[in-house]
Amino acid sequence: MSMRFIGLVFAFMIAAVGCSREQNFDEKVLNLITPQKIKGFDPIYAADLYASNEIGKVYEGLLEFHYLKRPYELTPNLAESMPEVSADGLTYTFKVKKGVLFQDSKAFPNGKGRELKADDFIYSIRRMADPKLQSTGWWLLDGKIAGLNEWRDKNANAEKVNYDEAVEGLKKVDDYTFQFKLAKPFPQFLYALAMPFTFAVAKEVVEHHGQEFQNYPVGTGPFKLDYFDNSNRIVYHRNPTFREKLYPSEGEATDEAAGLLADAGKKLPLVDKVIVNIVVESQPQWLNFQKGSADLLGVPKDNFDQAIVAGKNLHPDMAKKGIRLSMVNSLDTTYVAFNHTDPLFKDNIKLRQAMSLAYDHVESNKLFYNNTATIAQSIIPPGISGHKKEYKSPYIGRNLEMAKKLLKEAGYPEGKGLPELQYETVGSTVSRQQGEFFAKNMADIGIKIRISTNTWPELVKKTNTKTAQMFGIAWGADYPDAENFFGLLYGPNESPGSNSSNYKNATFDKIFAQASIMQDGPERTALYEQLYEMAGNEVPWIYGMHRTSVTVYQGWVKNYKYIEFNHTQVQYLNADLEAKKELLKKF
Amino acid sequence: MTTYIIRRLLYMIPVIFGVSFIIFVLFNVVAGDPAPLLLGKHATVQQIHDLREQLGLNKPLFAQYMDVVKSAFTFDFGRSWATRQDIIEMIRQGAWPSLTLTIPAFMISTILSILLALVVAFYRGKGIDLTIRFLCIAGQSISSVAYILFFQYFFAYKLGWFEISGYEPEFPVFLSYVALPGIIWIVLSLGPDVRFFRTVILDEIYQDYVRTARAKGLGEITVLLKHVLRNAMIPIITYVVIQIPFLILGALLLESFFSIPGLGGITLNALNSSDFPVIKAMAVLSSIAYILFSLLTDVLYTLADPRVKLK
Repeated sequence: MSMRFIGLVFAFMIAAVGCSREQNFDEKVLNLITPQKIKGFDPIYAADLYASNEIGKVYEGLLEFHYLKRPYELTPNLAESMPEVSADGLTYTFKVKKGVLFQDSKAFPNGKGRELKADDFIYSIRRMADPKLQSTGWWLLDGKIAGLNEWRDKNANAEKVNYDEAVEGLKKVDDYTFQFKLAKPFPQFLYALAMPFTFAVAKEVVEHHGQEFQNYPVGTGPFKLDYFDNSNRIVYHRNPTFREKLYPSEGEATDEAAGLLADAGKKLPLVDKVIVNIVVESQPQWLNFQKGSADLLGVPKDNFDQAIVAGKNLHPDMAKKGIRLSMVNSLDTTYVAFNHTDPLFKDNIKLRQAMSLAYDHVESNKLFYNNTATIAQSIIPPGISGHKKEYKSPYIGRNLEMAKKLLKEAGYPEGKGLPELQYETVGSTVSRQQGEFFAKNMADIGIKIRISTNTWPELVKKTNTKTAQMFGIAWGADYPDAENFFGLLYGPNESPGSNSSNYKNATFDKIFAQASIMQDGPERTALYEQLYEMAGNEVPWIYGMHRTSVTVYQGWVKNYKYIEFNHTQVQYLNADLEAKKELLKKF
Repeated sequence: MTTYIIRRLLYMIPVIFGVSFIIFVLFNVVAGDPAPLLLGKHATVQQIHDLREQLGLNKPLFAQYMDVVKSAFTFDFGRSWATRQDIIEMIRQGAWPSLTLTIPAFMISTILSILLALVVAFYRGKGIDLTIRFLCIAGQSISSVAYILFFQYFFAYKLGWFEISGYEPEFPVFLSYVALPGIIWIVLSLGPDVRFFRTVILDEIYQDYVRTARAKGLGEITVLLKHVLRNAMIPIITYVVIQIPFLILGALLLESFFSIPGLGGITLNALNSSDFPVIKAMAVLSSIAYILFSLLTDVLYTLADPRVKLK
């Protein structure tokens, strides 16, 4: 009996192993991978890239970045048109599109989603400022909208936050029109309205779900959430009540030839279902893609050689399967920050310059970025106004002779007299390797570096308390404006603000303060370029790389174009089921 | 025995106080400040201060410690600071995937290890004993990550016998997702388990009562199964039962590589984001599980060996 029983158990297990998900060709499905657990769908906490990508499938904002045009350009989304801006640049009047419906939800009477109104934006902006909610996006509006900080302060100690009290800078004109009045000029304000923090939520839904609101997203967006397990899988279906939003008919000059305008004028979204699998480790991400179970993927560092040949071409084995490659500069900068509250660095520009010259950028690019990154000459990545293509920093590019000379002038000939410096980094393998590479480079001019590995919370604690002497880190653009990068060197933003290197330079601060409130134009660009050069020559950090985003996508995925601010991208993607059937035979 | 059990259960009270104290000290001394982590890269001094106030981190230390103790006794751990989810609900959701992986794998590996240990004990000193011991030592010498990477690549990707990653909670579909990590678990466990059980069995095999049993004319298999195994049960029970609380905590590496949404991942995420309520809940619950299973071990001794009395 027992042998028969064991036999039955094995037969059952083998049968069960066969009970896995099959490819479905009845509807257009996109299978995506995200490498991190999703914290939830509340737009006011959309600080991390992965959460904002999910939020952008369900919720929408007044504006969005045009999917195809570059340089990045804002375009109306839930706004009827771009806003009317008053002559003093302080009042923005928006008209909201009519007939836009929230998705059906039991939070609404009869479960039917109601129409989006101007009040919803006023409510959503107030939620960002609600002192009890501590939005991670408050920095965007802090001190920017007239009366909003006062409302926040007034309600900080109140038992219940009063949403009925008027705020000077948030004024409803009629059901479909409202005005923002700014407290001071803030040229980047419109970017804020394309970021998920400011996306529209419905008050009824927030109140209905209370503390569980982040798990029950109900927006006006192209997809409706079906299933959400924040550490396993997220499944969306096309929102049946989504408005008439069409695929763009114009883009960059090369877009037509690339087939990116084939769906021009078609109603969005173009796929029926989106499945997002949470896969943390790079091997299963890569294997799932190789097997055709994932439709697009950022190429993991360790699989680079399997995907790319000669640094820029797709591997022939992958090309045979119809897979395609996208390599585009990201809007980011990696760097090693000096802590400028440490007298060693604060008053010794020559030491900083010497260390920068000792760093081998070329080898670093080869070792850690597969030679795909662009060596940073200063703080701003290419593609953002203020980046000076012709500027070459005199302190970038390994020159040991010059580095030793500067080190001597700094008062530490061959490193003598300089105490051992501590480099802080996170404990991941690559970060540790980067630390070791940095230490080896510095040893070549006689500087001793001790590497200290930290968990991310420990590193943040050290930078916020100004106790990290040096640390390796990166910054990605929140929006395509140089102000977002220069702010990292602006004195008043010192730790625990975004200027975690605590760099202070009166001239830099003065120019930044002047430029940051100017509208885009040649005058502002001139000031930005001045800051760019200053940041290069002063070496407040050892600049690293502007990384390249390397993405591979399956041959059946249509309309893929890299977009830095990609939280609304999925609605533009299409899946060719016939091509998929054929191409999968090659896998 | 009842008095013994009650007394052991009462011991839990000072242990919970102690565990609460240790995690409280570790959180306040070692871990990073959660406020800037939760607020993101643009946090202002005022925001950090306000959030610390809301999280109760500006309260006197003793009051904070008492909050930890209170939640440990009431099991009211509140909500995660990072995901704002109800913690008991998070644990409930994570426990099923973890247990569907760890319990079957643990049971199979334990039974298989005991059987193999009996076989090598039976053939002690002979070729089969040497081969299995060699394989056990060789198997243990390879990193667990290497097993995971190879098995995932070869059996899931190349041969396509299993899913590469993912999880479905429904029965029996989950078997297709936990089968491969379960096999890896078994392979990883066999080395140390077989060697331990073999030592325990060999300790017994040279005892006088075994010689007596053989002298009575009993066959070697009967001696092994009826006499040796039964007498070896006390160290085996200790070894096996005390591992059960760790099954509840999940299998961190396997869950991570196979995208199984279990408790291992929840704990790791909590540590990475200084999510103190979740760390606290996991530490308290695992301590309680450890105490309960130690107690169970003691009770099982009395079943395995009637000479053992719990007083």
